[in-house]
Amino acid sequence: MAKLDVELTVNGEKHKLKVGSQERLLDTIREQLKLTGTKEGCSVGECGACTVIVDDQAVNSCMVLTAQVDGSEIITVEGLESKSGLHPLQKAFIEKQAVQCGFCTPGMLMSALALLNTNPEPSKEEIKTALEGNLCRCTGYQQIIDAVEMAAEEWGA
Amino acid sequence: MVEYQLLRAHSLDELLEILDQRENVQLLAGGTDLMVDLHHQDQKFDKIDYLLDITAVDELKGIQLGDKKGEIGALTTHAELVSNPEIKEKLPFIAAAASSIGSTQIRNRATIGGNLANAAACADSFSPLIALGAEVVLRSKGGARRVLLEDFVEWPYQTIIKPDEVLEKIVFAMPQGEYYSSYQKIGRRKALSISRISLTLLAEVENGRVKKAQVASGAATPFPVPFRKVNDYLNGKSFAEIDPIEAGNIAADEMVGITGERWSTPYKRPALGKLVERAVEDLLEEAGYNG
Ligand SMILES: Cc1cc2nc3c(=O)[nH]c(=O)nc-3n(C[C@H](O)[C@H](O)[C@H](O)COP(=O)(O)OP(=O)(O)OC[C@H]3O[C@@H](n4cnc5c(N)ncnc54)[C@H](O)[C@@H]3O)c2cc1C
Ligand code: FES
Ligand code: FES
Repeated sequence: MAKLDVELTVNGEKHKLKVGSQERLLDTIREQLKLTGTKEGCSVGECGACTVIVDDQAVNSCMVLTAQVDGSEIITVEGLESKSGLHPLQKAFIEKQAVQCGFCTPGMLMSALALLNTNPEPSKEEIKTALEGNLCRCTGYQQIIDAVEMAAEEWGA
Repeated sequence: MVEYQLLRAHSLDELLEILDQRENVQLLAGGTDLMVDLHHQDQKFDKIDYLLDITAVDELKGIQLGDKKGEIGALTTHAELVSNPEIKEKLPFIAAAASSIGSTQIRNRATIGGNLANAAACADSFSPLIALGAEVVLRSKGGARRVLLEDFVEWPYQTIIKPDEVLEKIVFAMPQGEYYSSYQKIGRRKALSISRISLTLLAEVENGRVKKAQVASGAATPFPVPFRKVNDYLNGKSFAEIDPIEAGNIAADEMVGITGERWSTPYKRPALGKLVERAVEDLLEEAGYNG
């Protein structure tokens, strides 16, 4: 089956790619771009481990065919760290011990980043809503919510 | 093994042309239903030669609410319905239904058109739109037809859309004068539940009397229907004459009249009754009546 040409900007870098007709954004990110921070959990939109940001919105990358987002700007967890070091969200997750096994963390970080990018001072309810599509088997969520609150404060400061 | 050719339409004309020219085309919008089927290599893909992505078709996007009429494009996402200020103000029950769907990630992709066209019995967009008396516009290259949403679903997962048609938009008359509404839903899990029963009550009111009530439910019945007997019960009554419990009983009886006694009836009968009761109480409270 013929491949399709797509152009994606991922973490600020432009890529011209050929993608299959069943290739999901998750597959492109992990297999073609070798950005393996994004995880595959359930594959059916339930767990949020595969969350990335597409044109400013948190999206399950297992639910999107790459060809559908031709021309989009994508941010993955690898896009958080910069030359000046860890992102405030990453620091807060460490500080608040919001990471245990870590499988959910990349997705959590992306959902939290999408939230803070559009709403720098979220309420606890807004944080919960932003993270409701991200499951965590380990932490019980409280540390994660605390971390997002902390990051919002630090970032705003 | 699943095999199909993926196509992308960039305009409504291009989309209609492809539907006219090719056979066995399946439309792809937000993908939150279809990608699950693809992951499970569902049998439905045996009959699909082309998957046609419509997410770049701008003509299918947008929300327009006038004084008399309103329109919602099929590609409008649930997230857009939640954040649209006009929807929140004028049709809050639509925002409430949209915000109850899936999770943030799902709402950012999932469309109202996909929710209707997929036609799961539990799809949450039906009850608010049926309560509004909404119609869907189904367009093909040859032209468009308008169908009442309550006549759109033939059976769960089966609608009257023809192979060369796309669901273009949802159109409805805006509620007039003084009106109140309530959206109720019970699901198994709060954030990520495919709901079991959802319910919308919309009522136009004049001088403390219900002028026009519209009650509709999703998932109480195999396909979503308006509850006409509850409407009849509420219509013309003053707030003092309305008994929420009686309204609930009438709805529950009406549901059993439609579905017959089934394995789920012992659960659904009281559940629906309670939802209607709550919706009516909500309405009275919103209207400032505390009898
Ligand atoms: C984790 C999860 C949670 C969910 N929770 C809920 C929930 O709480 N409530 C609920 O109601 N649903 C829920 N859903 C189901 C789904 O998200 C919705 O039904 C959604 O609105 C479907 O829209 P879509 O754009 O993603 O559809 P798609 O998957 O793109 O398409 C669905 C069907 O509609 C057809 N279609 C799409 N657009 C059109 C059009 N314009 N014209 C004609 N046909 C069209 C497609 O061909 C396909 O058959 C959930 C799904 C997941 C994965
Ligand atoms: S892997 Fe995508 S939501 Fe679970
Ligand atoms: S830290 Fe293990 S799943 Fe969240």
